[in-house]
Amino acid sequence: MSAGLSIAREEWRLWARSRVVLLAGVIVAVLLVVTSALTALRVADEAEARAARQASAEATFLAQPDRHPHRMVHYGHYAFRTPPPLAAFDPGVDAVTGQSIFLEGHRQNTAMFADARAGADLGGFAGLTPANIYQLLLPLLLIIIGHGVLLRERESGTLAVLLAQGQSALTLAGGKALALAGVVGAFLLPVTALAAYGAARGEPALTAALMVAGYGLYLAVWAALILAVSLWVRQRSVALGVLIFVWLLTALVVPRLGINAGSAAIDAPGKIESDLVMLAEQRKLGDGHNAADPAFAALQKQVLEQYGAEKVEELPMNWRGVVAGYSEKKLTDLMNQYAEKRMAQEAEQSRIVTLFGFASPTLAVGAASRTLAGTDLATHHRFLREAEALRFDFVQGLNDLHATKLTFADDAKRSADPEAEKRTRVNAAAWRLLDDFRFVPDPAAARAARAALPLAMLLGWLVLLGGAIVAGARRLRP
Amino acid sequence: MTALLREARFMLRDRGAMVWIALALLLSAAATGFGIAEVRDQRATIAVLLEEDAKDRANAISKYDAWGDAAYDAFHLTYAPPSKLAFAALGQRDTAPWLHRVRMLALEGQIHEADTRNADFGLIGRFDFAFLAATVAPLLLILLLHDLRAGERVAGRHDLLVATAGRALRLWLPRAGMRFAALALALLLPFWAGALVEGAPALQVLAASGLVLGALLVWWLIVEAVGRRPGTPAALLAALVGIWLALALILPAVAKTAIEASHPVPDGAEILMLQREAVNDAWDKPKAATMEPFLARHPEWRAHGTVDKPFEWKWYYAFQQVGDMQAEPIVRAYREGRLARDRAAGIAAFLSPASLVERGFERLAGTDTQAMIGYEDRVRAFHAELRAFHYPLLFRDPPYDPLAFEKLPRYQPPR
Repeated sequence: MSAGLSIAREEWRLWARSRVVLLAGVIVAVLLVVTSALTALRVADEAEARAARQASAEATFLAQPDRHPHRMVHYGHYAFRTPPPLAAFDPGVDAVTGQSIFLEGHRQNTAMFADARAGADLGGFAGLTPANIYQLLLPLLLIIIGHGVLLRERESGTLAVLLAQGQSALTLAGGKALALAGVVGAFLLPVTALAAYGAARGEPALTAALMVAGYGLYLAVWAALILAVSLWVRQRSVALGVLIFVWLLTALVVPRLGINAGSAAIDAPGKIESDLVMLAEQRKLGDGHNAADPAFAALQKQVLEQYGAEKVEELPMNWRGVVAGYSEKKLTDLMNQYAEKRMAQEAEQSRIVTLFGFASPTLAVGAASRTLAGTDLATHHRFLREAEALRFDFVQGLNDLHATKLTFADDAKRSADPEAEKRTRVNAAAWRLLDDFRFVPDPAAARAARAALPLAMLLGWLVLLGGAIVAGARRLRP
Repeated sequence: MTALLREARFMLRDRGAMVWIALALLLSAAATGFGIAEVRDQRATIAVLLEEDAKDRANAISKYDAWGDAAYDAFHLTYAPPSKLAFAALGQRDTAPWLHRVRMLALEGQIHEADTRNADFGLIGRFDFAFLAATVAPLLLILLLHDLRAGERVAGRHDLLVATAGRALRLWLPRAGMRFAALALALLLPFWAGALVEGAPALQVLAASGLVLGALLVWWLIVEAVGRRPGTPAALLAALVGIWLALALILPAVAKTAIEASHPVPDGAEILMLQREAVNDAWDKPKAATMEPFLARHPEWRAHGTVDKPFEWKWYYAFQQVGDMQAEPIVRAYREGRLARDRAAGIAAFLSPASLVERGFERLAGTDTQAMIGYEDRVRAFHAELRAFHYPLLFRDPPYDPLAFEKLPRYQPPR
């Protein structure tokens, strides 16, 4: 062990004296610190702004004057997705999805105003985030630092001396691995700091720790690859070429090819397309604004029988409100059916993309990181579902008021008779039926479970490369 | 000539070089193939929707007997079809909507609707030809050319070769030029084939090819400048990769952050809230509060502008428009802000050949920010046409005749 440690220490000493390593290290460190600070500030700002908007949207809803309840159905409400604490490290899909939804009767709107739509377009990469730097730049830095880790000894002739002195090749490889592990450990400091910052802002320890562990695993995979290549290749320039080639494929090419493949394999219709198909079906359900729509004949017959009435005018409640509530329920079932189908297709596409993680650790760590941070597609889908539940709740509450607080006669006359119109206004105190909405990420255990597959992929890579290192060390000749 | 032939033979025997060139060919073919599949998919979607849209509108109109009801329920498809070069650069089409269905209601409540696709797509990005040419190709060129000199130096032949050749240029130019040409061809051949299949205009393809070659030339010069310095192949490669990283990744990202910080755009959610409040408040306000601003904008309807009943369709559509009018300043700021960011990004792109290539491709393919804002402008113009069509019917209120809807304006995509 002490031999391994002294080998590692020698390596660290050399790196610390290398101007290239220091320069590259300083540049990446500065970039990482600045990006982390900027992202953390921005996300904290966003979280605050969105929470404030959510509260103000609720206050405005409650502050509406006396009105016809159906007017409040169309007045609507907003749901905001507040970013979780770890979004400061990995904002994930936040920039792409839009952060607020307008909720109203008869419609499921999309999340609007994604930052990406208003962003400056400089091609290629989304803006820098700490997660991006970890996924793309740190492996490259590790390659620049470490590609000569063993080949240096070979090229300067010290490898032969070391082996001739009876140093076992495995110990040698172990020492070099230790050296690289030290660098990885140093690289992990910023993510540890950000995870701790997240934990201080309410992130469970489990996900914060797994985040650090995930990136530790990812960088360890790269370190193992660097050592393996260094053992199997005889020239330093070839090793560097091979490593950069692998980086190019795993970091730049495979993830994007995965996206192409996911998009080509499953044709998930956009929302407008699926809405149009749905609309055709919806027309059959009848228009909830028009209680005379023939689509409601069966309902009418059933309700009249239930109350022993001849005409809807004789019912103890407002028939129009009953129809509004009934058709909203039917319509929502239909909309949810389409929304669930669309989300299932998107989830399937993303599953295909994640499977490309077997070919690209970068993709795997990205999936794990977004999942753990609570900024992945699945979390966004849950936001959509919860926003929909909120929508349905207040709309049906209002439809209930419509059915019970208004008379059918007034309601029918209100467009022509100002006095009847006044009587159809419900007291504003009733708007308190609106629930508070605070979006929170999944529980830590659920996120950890979802991140298990990509983390296992990384572990698989590490084991595989570990095998390559041992095999390479066994056949090491000067 | 003989020098070129010699170098060609030499390159064909260099396994390392052939790997990079074959990889470029493979990636280019994949990017082009996937790109063509995607634009065909998008065109097919539009074709299906056009048909469904017409059917749905006819159905909606047939159900009513009042102008206002029919206008309320009739949707109109607007779309931006992918251009013939779009297969090479999907650009903003993955984040900005290119499909809408609009109706006579307030436009601001509709035009910001995002036809969301899988968010992971927008986040990770597609592997299209523009990305390959802008970001990946330079790295391949670096791998291909970085050790021409240093490799010979390590092999101990460098000085002999230079002395034999007489002038250094006679030796290195054909060697590097041959590799450069092979890489460029490997990249461009599948692209040209794709352009042929898609029927892209020759001038655009020429310009796009020029862009690729021009950017690669810049990278070649960089490799030349670094490659002349003494140093081991590994050290040169490390330096070149550092330069690539700075130019292709870090500079664009830093520029993007700086531009977005210095050119704020209003929060889009504000547009929606403002417009929504305006439209909803109108119900509770006296009718004049809606009709006055409306008639100020449309004095031609003053003679028909009185509203007597609690609900009249002309008043309903008037307050929809007044809602849009109230949001106008912030909408303008949102649009101008995005254009200003785009202009700034256009200037900043000169710092990075990668950004320049990608933006150039998006411009040629009509998938850049300007093109997407242009689409929004067309939707606005079309919505204005819809209003111009409906207002005479709503204000004069002639007897209902569904045949009148045969003259409904149709959305025309750009040629």
